[in-house]
Amino acid sequence: MVNDYSQNLPARIATIKIVAYVLLLILGARVFYLQIIKGDYYKERAENQRIKLIPIPAPRGSILDRYGRILVDSRPSYNIVFASEQIKFINPFEKVDDYARGLKVDKQYLIERLNLIKKQPGFETMIIKENATLEDIAWVEAHSLEFPELQVEVRPQRNYPYGEVLAHVLGYVGEVSPKQLEKPEYADLKPGDIVGKFGLEQYYDKYLRGIPGYRKVLVDSRGRIQAELEVIEPQPGQDLVTTIDLDLQLAAEAELARSVTKRGTIIAMDPNNGEILALASSPSFDPNVFVKGISTPEGRKKIAEYYKDENRPLLNRAIQGRYHPGSTWKIPLGVAGLQQNAITVKDSRLLCGGGITIGNKFTRCMGNHGVPPLDYAITKSCDGYFYRLGLKLGVDGIIKMVEEFEYDKPTGIDLPNEKASRTPKYWKPYVEKREGKWSDIRTVFASIGQDTVEATPISMLRAIAAIGVQGKMYVPHLMKEIKEIGAVGAFPAKPGLTYEIPEPKVIKMTEEQEALVLKGLWGVVNAGGTASRIRIPGFDIAGKTGTAQNAPLGTKGPKDHAWFVSFAPAYKPEIAVMAIIENAGFGAQHAAPAVRGVYDAYLRKYHPELVQGQQLAKDNSKNNL
Amino acid sequence: MIGIIERRNFKEFDWLLFILAISIVCFGIWQIYNAQPTENYWQKQIIGLIIAVLVALIVSLIDYRTLIHFAPVFYVIGLVLLILVLTPLGVRVKGQQAWLKLPLIGQFQPSEFVKIPVVLMLARYFGERKGIQPLTLKETLVGVAILAVPISLILLEPDAGQALTYFPLLAVVIFLSAIRIRWIVLSLVAVLILAPVGFYIGVKTGKIKQYQIERINVILDPENADPRGYGYHTFQSIITVGQGGVTGIKGDTEKSQSALKFLPEPHTDFIFAVTAENTGFLGCVSLLLAYALLLSRLIMGAKFSPDRAGMLVIMAFVGGMTFQIFINIGMALGILPVIGVPLPLMSAGLSSILSTFIAIGFVLSVRMRRFVNY
Repeated sequence: MVNDYSQNLPARIATIKIVAYVLLLILGARVFYLQIIKGDYYKERAENQRIKLIPIPAPRGSILDRYGRILVDSRPSYNIVFASEQIKFINPFEKVDDYARGLKVDKQYLIERLNLIKKQPGFETMIIKENATLEDIAWVEAHSLEFPELQVEVRPQRNYPYGEVLAHVLGYVGEVSPKQLEKPEYADLKPGDIVGKFGLEQYYDKYLRGIPGYRKVLVDSRGRIQAELEVIEPQPGQDLVTTIDLDLQLAAEAELARSVTKRGTIIAMDPNNGEILALASSPSFDPNVFVKGISTPEGRKKIAEYYKDENRPLLNRAIQGRYHPGSTWKIPLGVAGLQQNAITVKDSRLLCGGGITIGNKFTRCMGNHGVPPLDYAITKSCDGYFYRLGLKLGVDGIIKMVEEFEYDKPTGIDLPNEKASRTPKYWKPYVEKREGKWSDIRTVFASIGQDTVEATPISMLRAIAAIGVQGKMYVPHLMKEIKEIGAVGAFPAKPGLTYEIPEPKVIKMTEEQEALVLKGLWGVVNAGGTASRIRIPGFDIAGKTGTAQNAPLGTKGPKDHAWFVSFAPAYKPEIAVMAIIENAGFGAQHAAPAVRGVYDAYLRKYHPELVQGQQLAKDNSKNNL
Repeated sequence: MIGIIERRNFKEFDWLLFILAISIVCFGIWQIYNAQPTENYWQKQIIGLIIAVLVALIVSLIDYRTLIHFAPVFYVIGLVLLILVLTPLGVRVKGQQAWLKLPLIGQFQPSEFVKIPVVLMLARYFGERKGIQPLTLKETLVGVAILAVPISLILLEPDAGQALTYFPLLAVVIFLSAIRIRWIVLSLVAVLILAPVGFYIGVKTGKIKQYQIERINVILDPENADPRGYGYHTFQSIITVGQGGVTGIKGDTEKSQSALKFLPEPHTDFIFAVTAENTGFLGCVSLLLAYALLLSRLIMGAKFSPDRAGMLVIMAFVGGMTFQIFINIGMALGILPVIGVPLPLMSAGLSSILSTFIAIGFVLSVRMRRFVNY
């Protein structure tokens, strides 16, 4: 019919028909590819974008003192958060001014936070203001249409009721850093999670942290929650019971607070097992500032000040400070003299001579003590005696002593970043390289804890306390017990854990050798020694003073550090206490009275019968609360 | 108009075509409901279908030759409507002034309807050709002119997608009007060369906007589309289609990409993605087969056309519809850039369904008059 009109019309119509079918076939093939071949993949993609897991942070375990008193706990706080989901749809940097005005936060801080969220795509929500006030919450809710990206979230927040007290031990918490996230022990964390950053919070983070739960929700394209599909409750972290006795801790803090320079450290330990009863380091810091202040301009300024302060409040002087031990070093040296047969119990006499001449240089003693035996040399802190003992042992003998008393390694206390002492063992290769040989004068200085000897306070306490307990050097520790936690939903119960005291390192001494050294230590306080003024009748303190010079001999420099390391009662020790007061002067004058203050608190609590009629240090424990 | 209704032979009424078209619309209404269960688009579409069916029946009763005869009148009316759109009577939606709001009639999209007078005009002009002499340049230019005026007006709205759907109408008419094969080959080659060159120049001179470039780039790499940009829509559409699998999610609103608003314009431009999501591969293939059957039925009608003009009208509609189906579904499947073209018979919208049924009415009219002498 119609073929008349065109060139081969039926063929042309057929061509159009074929083209139409081919096009439909292409579409069919594409549908086949998307739905049949890649169907499962896109099913997953669709699910991933509509189902979101909103974490429910687990409350961290509390930290308690040995009698169950709360040192750290967590309480709920309201935070204003930025939902990272929204960052796909808006440019939050354009709104920074509005946020800053509405929430009264630092604009610069907001920009930093938003940059962080860009760098770490794993953030679910990013806190932009912690501890939101009712006013802030009202503002966010009033602007929910304008700024859907802002949300209010409840999170448990760490609370340190005692502020600066025990801060170095407890530590603080903060958001996990990108560097930490790369480590295997933080593998199960996401950016924005809270972890311990310092102290026990860091050391026992694994136990304190708990397991976060989550809400599985259905969201629309704008991240708005449409339905809640599932809730998994979090399992709280385990409580940590420490060995700390809060009363002794407060006494130690009070002693540091009233010392002349207010810089130093006091440690109290049970010499029979290594339990730390008190550990104070001054100046201190307030962990609450790190937890609550990170989002406020004032808080951030305060944190910056902590880092810049030349008194280094963030340094835990007890385990990270290295000081010349001065005369306290004479105790391990005396033991080494006996062990290495440089002296014997029967004949421990060496010349004092008022000092010693090495080459053409005379190094003096504080007095002239004749030819004293070891105990008397300790009691009177005779330098001349120990110069000669040191020379008899030689630097290799001193290094042997360093190894015997484990000064060449950290004590193993359960706190992060403990430093090891530095001794001739550490310095000898450097000295020999620079000066060609190890000279006698260095041996002389090393024998009275100067020059090449820098010890951490905790290592000195550990070594000297061992003299009272048959040479047993226990590992100092703060963890007494980790409480069990019950099962929550899918998370199984976690058993409790008690600290297993490792076998002590034993300093090999005969009973006679031990008795001789102990006699010297006892005499320091009880037989007219350097620290006689802190004597407590009925509670014999054995100890050793030290005055560590900070300036080269004969020059004027910063004042000496005052040391006192002790334990009591001398012949059946229950407690060992040491103090360092930086740049205060004589150990006997500054450190010994500080130690006495802690003993007074101890007696008041555990031996009130001894307190009767005694002139004890003022009860300071309550002033600090 | 009653006068031009003639005696007709209902034995020749193409029931299969008519019922097939209605079935596709009903299937579409179900998908519109799936796309926007909380809105009343699906109810509006039911009303639209009833009106469209009645209009199609009325058109089928009219002798198509009368309609072709009055083509210039319809054409002028169409142009007037397109001009009115650009006046304050037009309604501006999302930067496009494509809608006209008239008293009594309501709101509609003239660019959908103007296709019909354009096709009639082309059929009237090219239908008068006699003999087998090849298409002349003059004839071609007249065809281009018929097309150019409405397209220019539509581009002023601007609605490039709708304008694009006019080209296949002319292409089919010219192809069936004895254009020499060599010209076809030549123009295909020219398009293959000029399209990339034109695109390149357009990008360099800034005539092609960044969002338009992005719509094209996303086809090459949909996974990495900027979620805030246009490419995101394409990728969301791909996910929506893909998650349908073999049998689909069957209206589960907790899984629906459209209910959760990941898919934009689910009841209009992306209705195919909704179909794919809810009915899966089986539903998609059924729909594509239905379209194939519909097109073959139309082409059969064209073959039986008693005259050349009727054949040209039907084939132009076939071309236009095939093109729209391919553009719309191709876009939903991420093989073509996002162009706002409705899917015939499926997408929600009175203008679209009504204009399609007017065309079907026309085809029915041609079919019923296949044995009428002329």
